[in-house]
Order: sequence, then structure tokens, then C-alpha cells
Amino acid sequence: MSLVLQLSRCRDGAPFCDGREDSADMCNHRQEEAKILVASEDDPNRQLLETRISKDDGYQKQQDTLIVWTEQNGTDMALSFQEPEGCASIWDFVNDVQSQLQLAQNDSLSDDISEHVSPIMLPDPDLGNLHEIENHMRAANSTPGGREALAKFVLSQAYIPKLIPLVEDAEDLESASDLHRLCSIMKMLILLNDTSIIEYVVTDEVVLGVVGALEYDPDFPLHKANHRQYLSDESRFKEVVPIEEQAIKRKIHYTYRLQYLKDVVLARILDDPTFSVLNSLIFFHQVDIVQHLQANGQFLKQLFAIFGPAEQSTQRRKDAVLFIQQCTQIAKSLQAQGRAQLYQNFINNGLLDVIQYALKHQDASVRVAGTEILVSLIDHDALMVRSYIFKAIQEKSKPLTDTLIELLLIEVDLGVKSQMADAIKILLDPNANSASIDALGRTNSDFLAKVRGQLPSMPQTESFIQNFYDESARKLFQPLKDLEGRESMNDLSIQEVSLYGHLVEVLCFFICKHQNRIKYFVLSEGLGVRVAQLMACPEKHLKLTALKYFRTLVGLHDENHNRQMIQHHLFEPILKIVFDTMPRDSLLNSACLEFFEFIKRENIKMIVQHIVETYREKLQTITYVDTFQNLILRYDQMNEPPTTQELDNSFTSVDSDTPGRHLSMINGGKWGQALKDPDADEEAYFNGSDDEDDGLPSAAKAVNGASPMRPLVDYPDDGEDDDILATSAPSASRYTMSSATQTQGAPNPPKPSTSSPPERLSEKRRREEDEEDELLANLSSSGTKRRASLTSNSSVGSLRNLRRKNSNITKDGGGAPNKISLSIPLKSGGEGGESEQ
Amino acid sequence: MSIGGSDLDRAITQLRACRPIPENQVRELCYKARELLIEEGNVVGVDAPVTICGDIHGQFHDLMELFRVGGDVPDTNYLFMGDFVDRGFYSLESFLLLLCLKVRYPDRITLIRGNHESRQITTVYGFYDECLRKYGSANVWRYCCEVFDYLALGALVTGAATSLEPTDGPIAENTNIDIPDGDCDIEIETLNANGEIMYRYARNSDSQSSAASQANSNPASSSPIGPTPSRVGAAGTGATSSANGSSRNDTGAILCVHGGLSPLIDSIDKIRLLDRKQEVPHEGAMCDLLWSDPDEIDGWGLSPRGAGFLFGADIVKCFNHKNDLSLIARAHQLVMEGFKEMFESTIVTVWSAPNYCYRCGNVAAILELGEDGSNAGFVRRSNGERGGGGGGWVLGSNAGPNGNATSESRRLSSVLGDSMQRTRDGPGRRYRVFEAAPQDSRGMPAKKPVADYFL
Repeated sequence: MSLVLQLSRCRDGAPFCDGREDSADMCNHRQEEAKILVASEDDPNRQLLETRISKDDGYQKQQDTLIVWTEQNGTDMALSFQEPEGCASIWDFVNDVQSQLQLAQNDSLSDDISEHVSPIMLPDPDLGNLHEIENHMRAANSTPGGREALAKFVLSQAYIPKLIPLVEDAEDLESASDLHRLCSIMKMLILLNDTSIIEYVVTDEVVLGVVGALEYDPDFPLHKANHRQYLSDESRFKEVVPIEEQAIKRKIHYTYRLQYLKDVVLARILDDPTFSVLNSLIFFHQVDIVQHLQANGQFLKQLFAIFGPAEQSTQRRKDAVLFIQQCTQIAKSLQAQGRAQLYQNFINNGLLDVIQYALKHQDASVRVAGTEILVSLIDHDALMVRSYIFKAIQEKSKPLTDTLIELLLIEVDLGVKSQMADAIKILLDPNANSASIDALGRTNSDFLAKVRGQLPSMPQTESFIQNFYDESARKLFQPLKDLEGRESMNDLSIQEVSLYGHLVEVLCFFICKHQNRIKYFVLSEGLGVRVAQLMACPEKHLKLTALKYFRTLVGLHDENHNRQMIQHHLFEPILKIVFDTMPRDSLLNSACLEFFEFIKRENIKMIVQHIVETYREKLQTITYVDTFQNLILRYDQMNEPPTTQELDNSFTSVDSDTPGRHLSMINGGKWGQALKDPDADEEAYFNGSDDEDDGLPSAAKAVNGASPMRPLVDYPDDGEDDDILATSAPSASRYTMSSATQTQGAPNPPKPSTSSPPERLSEKRRREEDEEDELLANLSSSGTKRRASLTSNSSVGSLRNLRRKNSNITKDGGGAPNKISLSIPLKSGGEGGESEQ
Repeated sequence: MSIGGSDLDRAITQLRACRPIPENQVRELCYKARELLIEEGNVVGVDAPVTICGDIHGQFHDLMELFRVGGDVPDTNYLFMGDFVDRGFYSLESFLLLLCLKVRYPDRITLIRGNHESRQITTVYGFYDECLRKYGSANVWRYCCEVFDYLALGALVTGAATSLEPTDGPIAENTNIDIPDGDCDIEIETLNANGEIMYRYARNSDSQSSAASQANSNPASSSPIGPTPSRVGAAGTGATSSANGSSRNDTGAILCVHGGLSPLIDSIDKIRLLDRKQEVPHEGAMCDLLWSDPDEIDGWGLSPRGAGFLFGADIVKCFNHKNDLSLIARAHQLVMEGFKEMFESTIVTVWSAPNYCYRCGNVAAILELGEDGSNAGFVRRSNGERGGGGGGWVLGSNAGPNGNATSESRRLSSVLGDSMQRTRDGPGRRYRVFEAAPQDSRGMPAKKPVADYFL
């Protein structure tokens, strides 16, 4: 395994380092070495230090910013870091490598032998001996030592340039077999997975020849790809502002070609190691490019001048926005400090104005780019963005928040609209990233998770959010307010439906994040009633969104919210949906059931009381599930001391109420038990296996499990009277059954003797995204299905993906708590390697 | 613009050619699909005959091969058990085509959710990037993810025949297994992509009585000669149910989910109490249904995937018995042979992505369930009756041993001396096994390259 760590940023000759795992590229199984490379900041090509990490225990971390060790030759070395985070991550890296070296020691015997394999020699290629060469290479390819020797030979003898002319020769001769052989040879050379070879094949001199050979894949004998044509098309490169530095310009082309290799030419055949080598090469190039550009003041001036008055071409402005978007995209995988510097430089040159410009652009694709830049910026450092908005507010100019709100309200492109809604959420998410915390997180996500959990919202964020509620919230939710007095909900336009959907979702998000402020806002503005109004619209998905709002509220267990819902009879429209959709099974219906099940399960007394008192008779008619009967039961248990049963009987309907009564009468003597048993049953179901040990009354369980839903066929779809008649009898018998069990079991609470369900879980489940095993577990046919080959390729790609995923979760908002998003980067294990193949 | 009627057909044609449709059409399509899917229950009811398919994973050309082997929509009814996207290079085309077909023929095709139908997973495993490449923005990805949230979590197939009509096909060349002739009660048949018989398995004597009763009560359906029932009539027509309800449907229902069972779900009815419109959560019943795997263990175990559980034979048998199921069909795990029955055929894994990831070298399979001629005792889902969309599974008809619907069959079975203690006989199962689409039909699979670049 070779671990290469690149450290950049050195000042005044004294190496200050801030390298991080970001740039650690692992997973070449043939070279047993891990290095620390320190490159000069001024000239990335100038290497200041290259040292191999040995497994000897000679490394020491001193203070927070210094790592010292002794080289093999006895020289004492020290690396001084500007940032403790950077130092910590390098330190982790060194430790990591050492522990892997220790591990490797055990099974490195074969490697040691193979390292001293004899060098390989191949004849100069011509069309006549391709077959022979291919066989030689295949043989060499089969051992690690052979591969290494082959790679050495190919590079030292400039073998690839010798192969390239043969492609055209074979083409002239129309010799398919030779072309296929050349393709196989070329594939093999690239899949040797030697960084130098891969870097070499994308250089100007040979790239077209190489991809030319790869056009004739023997797996697809009837096809010829057109890689050469694609790659020689110069017009794909858009140079918004001329890049003077030729080295950088070359790198841009190389990067593009590497990407093309990865996505197109080799997409089908890439193995994990080559995939991560390609990814890390691309990554390092991109880092270099972006670092160069952002530090180039002249370049930035020209770039941002495009948005000045002098520029005439709107196309050029559009391209510039897209260019900046691409920069910020790449910046996501930069180290925190480099990223901070990039954004700082961009902002100093007017990035915020560019965002404002892009957000208002008539072209939807530019608006998309604008929001994406903004979201990356917020992801990078929400505190910073907020402080700029704060400044704008103080200067009495229009803050970005208001721009976003206005745009959300008028945006016609439904995709962009949802992106704007997401941007608003992130901007106002008190837990959104700030660069400083993020940097810590990269090195130690566990720690980060803790910090995030405990960190009180920073005062600045608090006042920012306060300001939002003082100034902007009303504007944002005005459309909801305007629903007041609207007579019909049947004529909503597509735009309105989409807007209301987003507003309610944003509202839900704020309810989860802002607790008190949003509470006063919602209560004082009476938004609940407005949201409830939406449930009358014909669009079912909007009904669903509205329902979710109330589910969120109920989930808070907040008395004020509950009281308001009760006061305004907001459960009525939800019940109406139940009646409208029952008894047929549908998403909307299930969502309602879940809502009432939750109330029952959590035993939210206030609500149970309200619902049953107000809608008892209605609830009694809903018998296709036992949710509502159980609600009534719960209410009865809550409110009926045994002595007052008769009293109740007088005003409730005669027949249908009997079962519930019956039960409580039987258990009258043991009030506590009657109260408890159904509870235990419920809890067990929802808490699942953890509680299984309690041992449920098996009979009661069977009753509950087996007949909660009565066949609908028995009674007509409409005609509620019939329903009542038809259903009361069976449900009566049901209750009799369960109560019978209980009497039998008395005096002790019935404990099952029959086999309790087998499920039993003592351990806490691990939760993570990794589903690598799906592929791997299945491939390794030897029953050892665990993480055999996941080991070590935390590739750059995966990190980037993960980070994107991370931000995504935050954006999605929908109830996904930050906690979850944070746990992801931890496990990155080996996802990246597989991820994009 | 609205995507209806001829527009939809045009979109289908375009997608069948593996060409993406414009963004605005995707949006319309997704909105239409949303309207349709919101009407479906968490467990959607499906009538046999139906062909059950496992993971597709963006292998568009292999999906076309699947349709070639299994019959085209709408001639064949399909049930896809999720994981349409990620890994392969044509997730977009594959998913949109399936979605188009769903909107065009809502009663002919059922789509349920897999663990890859999720925002988090798709951002890592390729679908997000693919959308970005093909449309330049994440909008299409957003629309699709919205649809993911509406997909049903499972399906319940009812009315499947206990035994197969023997295929009238030739016997595959390299088959050296003794193949029973068509006269006996065929339980399993495996065909290759050309419809040649690779394997045939007669139901063991154990279930003689059920076969006999089947034959008595409904001679037409179990007649060994005659057209394959899966091709007869349209699903949902009650044409053959002339047996006036007295016939016994011996095969219990078949539950289809992407992953497997959950310790939180002991009956199918509990699934209906979930609010499924959400991103696949990290734990809980909904997560388990999409993530769990069967394994040779007792009871429940931790899943190496980090989500969902492992569950053993006892769990499956208990669940099947309780819910009157004869079989659980699921996907989620690569099996080299395309399908794998476990635990005495109480659960089967179906995998429909041949040569997975373009390099695993596996074959794929689909599972055909025939129609039981007597379709008594089961209430069809219908579109017209309640004025809603398709897919309402009418509850109660499968309410388990204590429910009303099965009491008759219980009585009957006790008369016949068939002990209900053992699990129900599985339905007749015809597996069609196929390999990756021939390479000359599709060109070299590759991702779409980045079009323009600034950096």
C-alpha cells in the first residue's frame, strides 16, 4: 500500500503545512511505502521534502503544531504546522500508515520476495510480434513483481510511443486482429495502475495515439469508438479568461482527458485501484489549477470584470458564472484553508454581486448555477455568509435572504424553485457548517458530531435568525397568509401548488430547527389554520405535505402547538382525509394512520381527549383498522374511574360502545392492569425487539396482529350506517377474546408460555451507508462475506462524494437530522472505490 | 407542455432507443407518476399472472433484454422490486422508461422501492452524477427523487397458480437432468433466454392432496395441456373464475419486497401504518424492508450492510405462516445464477442485472407466476370501483389464519386432512434466466463524457 500525502503551503522556506487526508491517496498494493511530500507553495513542482514513513516508532507530536522524527540516515526532521488541525490530521495519517505497516508485516513475505524480481525485456513492437508481446505482458501482469518490472520497462524504454504508430499501420491494413491486440496491450498498460504511466498517456504527444488504440475493444468486435475525434475537438475547452500560465493550461487538458478515460474509455473495465488512482490524479490536478487561479490577482480581476459595465457579451457573463460554479465545485474538495482563501479572494472581487446577478438571470441554467454557488458558499462557511448579509442589512441594502425569498415566490422554473427553497433552509439552519468547525470535522468526525450536538448556537447566528423573523419571515410566508378568505381550493395553479408545497416544507424545517422563534411566529400568525386549509385542495401530494406539517407539530410534544390545533379544530380536516380515502389502502391514508397511531402511541393526552370527545361517533365508524378504536379505548381508560361507568353509558351510543366498556368492566378490579396491558402490547410492537423479553401475552398479541383489519368486502363502501352495524359485532367479539385472556391469566398479568417470537436483539445496530457488501459479499463466494476487500481505498472521489452527500442531506432537510449526515464521512471506508463504476 | 397520450408514447419510443427525454417532459412524467403512486398502498395488490424482476441498476440494454425474454409491456405484467438506478451507466433511461410504462399502463407494471431509490445513496453511487451530466443540473435528479418517495414499499401477489403449465419448449442442449414430462404437477421450471427448458421440478408427493383438490375443483386451470395461462386474457378480467368460489386457492399470497423482513413488522398489515413518503430512513421498519437480507442464522442478526437486519429461516417461516404467505420474493443481493431459493423455498432472491457492473459475470433471472384459474376469495384491485387510481390492495382478504377470508380454505383443508401447520405450498414458479444483452446490440457502455470544460 502506498500512501502519498501532499502537503502544500509553505512560507518563507519554513514549511508550514496543512495537509490532510483529503489528499491522501491510498491503495496501490504493490508498493509498500507511504510518503510525506512537501511541495513549495510558490512552485508546486518544487519539492521541498520527500520522506518515507517507516514503521519504526520514531515519530513524535510536540505541542499541537509540530511533528518530529529521525530519518533512516540519522537526520533529525521536524515539520511545523500553521494549524493544529493540519498537524493532527498528518499525525493521524502517520499513525494510520504505521499501523497498516505493522499489519502488512505479517503477510508481506510474498511481497518481499517478489520485489526482487528480475527486470523484464520486450522486443520492439511491430505488427508481426504483437501476439508475442501481448503474451509476455500477460504473463508479467500476473505477479506483482512482474507488473512493477513491466511498468519500469515501459517507461524507461519509451515503449508507448513505439506502439502508437502501429495503430495507424494496422488501420491502413484494416487488420482487426492487430487492432484488437493493440487495444488489449494498451488496456493492460493502463491497468498496471502505475501513476507515471497514467500521467504519461494523457500528455499531448501520445494521448490521441493511446485512445486511438483503445477504440478497438476486442470485447466489442463490431464497434469502433471515436475517442480521437472527441478528444481532438478543441472547442470543448472554454477559456473565459485567458490563462497565461502554460503549465496550468496543460493541467486543465490533462484533467479533462483523465476524466474522459475514467468515464468513457475505461468506464467498463476499471478496477478499484486504477479507479482511485485516476480519481486522485484528477483531484491533485484540480487542486493545483484552482490554487493557481485563485491566487492570481490579475486573473481574478479580469474574471470579475466580466460582470462590470464594460462587458457587452451576455454569453460571456453566463460562461463566467458557470466557470465560477465549476471552481466552487472543485473547491469543495480543497482543504479548508485553501478553500477559505479561494472564497475570500472571490468575495473580495465581488462574488456576492455575481450571485445576485446569477440568481436574477433570465436563463434558468444560470439561476441554477447561481444557487449552487451560493449553497456551496453557505456549506463552506455559513457564518461568513450571514455576516455579509448582516452587513448588507446594516447598510440598508437588500440582504441576500430577501432576494432569495422574492425569487422563491416568483420563480417559474419548478426545479430552480425547489433549489431556492433548499438554499433558504440552509441559510437559516443554525447548525449549518462553518469553516472552522468543519475543519475539525474532517479530521475527527466523531468529535465533530459531539461538538455539533453540544454547541450552543452562536450568538451571531441567533441574531441573524432573529432578524429573519423580525424582517423577512412575514414576506416569505405571506402567500400562506393570503389563503385567508380564499373560498375555493380547487383552482390552484401549478405554480401555487408548488409554492405552497415548498413553503410548508420550509415551515416544517424551521419548526424543527428554530423551536421558540418559529413557535411564536406560527402561533401569532395563525399559520396552522392556513396550512390546514391546504388539505382541502384536490392535489393529494399537497394534502400530504400539509399533513406532514401537523405531524411535525405533534411530534414536538408542545402544549402550545397542540392547544392551537385543538382550538382551531385542525384535526378535523385530517379525519376528513381518513374518511375520504378509507378503506382503500393508499399513501395518503397510511400517512393519516401513522399520524393517529403516533398520537396513540405517545399517549398525547390533550389530543386524545380532544379527538375522542369531539369526534367519538365518527371514530367509532372507522373500523377497518383498530387505530381509532384504540384511541377511544385509551380515552376511556384515561377518563373512567370504574365508578362512573354507568354515567358514561347514558350518553354514548348503545351498541358500539359496549366492547370497550366490557373490557374495562372485566378489569375493573385491577384498574392498573387494564390500563397497562394494551399499552405493553403497543409498546412492544413499536419498540420492537428490545422489549420482546417482556414477554407479551401471546393470545392478546395474536388477536392484535391477526384481526386489526376487517375484510372490507363485508360492507359497502359508502353508507356509514351499515358500517356501524356490520362492524360492531366482530369488534365486540374481539374485545371479548382479549379480555377473556386476561381473566384467565389473572391474578398475575398473563405471561406467555407459548413460543414468543424469535426476534431478540441485544446489540445496537450499526447504522451507516456502506452497502459495499452488497457487491462484495456476493462476489466472494466463500461465505466470508464481510468487508474483505473494503480495506483501504478511501479515495478522493469518495471524500468528495461524501461531502456532497453531506450537504445534500442538509439541503433535503425533510426531517433528516444533522446527526445522521455527520456520521457518514466517518465510515467512508471503501465506498469511493466502488461508487462510480 | 403536458405529457399525455401520444406524447407519452413518443417518450417511450425515445427512451426505448436509450435517448433521454427533455427536462420538461421528465417533470411532467414525474408529476403524473406521483399522482398515480400516491394512490397505491404501502403494499400494493397485484394479481397473477405477473413476472417478478429484481435489481436493474441502470443496465438499460439488459433491461431491454429482459423485456425480450419475458415479453413486452403491456403483454406481460411486470413487478419490479426496486434498485432501478445507480452503478450502471443508464440509470436515467432505465428508470424513466419504467416510469413511462407505469404511467402508460398503470395496471400492467408495478414498481416498488429499493434501497437505491434514495437521495443519499444516489449521490454516492452514480445516479446523481449521471443526471448532472445528462442535463447539466440536478433538477431531473430532484424530480426523480421526489418520485422515489412515493414508490410503494412492497407488493402482494394473489391468485397465483400452484402448478405450472408446462412450457411447450424444446429442452436445452446441455441439460442432462432428468426432466419430468408435462403430465405431473410442475412446481419449478427454469428456462433459458431462448425459452428452452433447462430444469423442471415436479411437486413432491407431500402435496398430492392439494394437487388433487386443485384438479377436482378446477380442472380447467390445472389441465396439463393447453395454452400457457400467463398469456391468457387480461389481468383483472374475471373470465376464468367460473368455479363459483368454492374452489380452494391453495397457494397463499406472495409478498414482494426489495430487501426483506423487519423485526418491527410481524404482519403485513403493520406495513400500512407507515408513512412512506420520506427519504429512506436509517433505521426502523421502512429501512428494514429495503435493506434486510435472509441468512443461514437463527432469528435476527446484525447486517454487515449497517442497515436492516439478517433474518433466518425460522423468521421467514413464522412470518409466512402468520400472514398466509406461500413465498417471499425479494431482490437486493447479487446471485450468480440469477435466482436463489432459500429456507425450503419459503423465500427467493431474484436478481435481474446480468453481468452486474459490467464485470461480475453473473446471469440474471425473472420469476413468472401463472394465474390460478379460479380466482375466488380474492378481491381484485380495481381502478373504477372507487374512482381512484390503481393499486389499492383491499385489506382483510389476507388477514391471516384468524381472518375471515381464509376460514373457508381452512375448513376445506381440514376436511382434506392437509395440515395447516406446515407452510403453504409455493406457487408454480417459472424462472427465465438470461445473460447480458448481446454486445453488438448496444455499443460500448460508457458514461456520458463531460461536454464542455472550463477547468
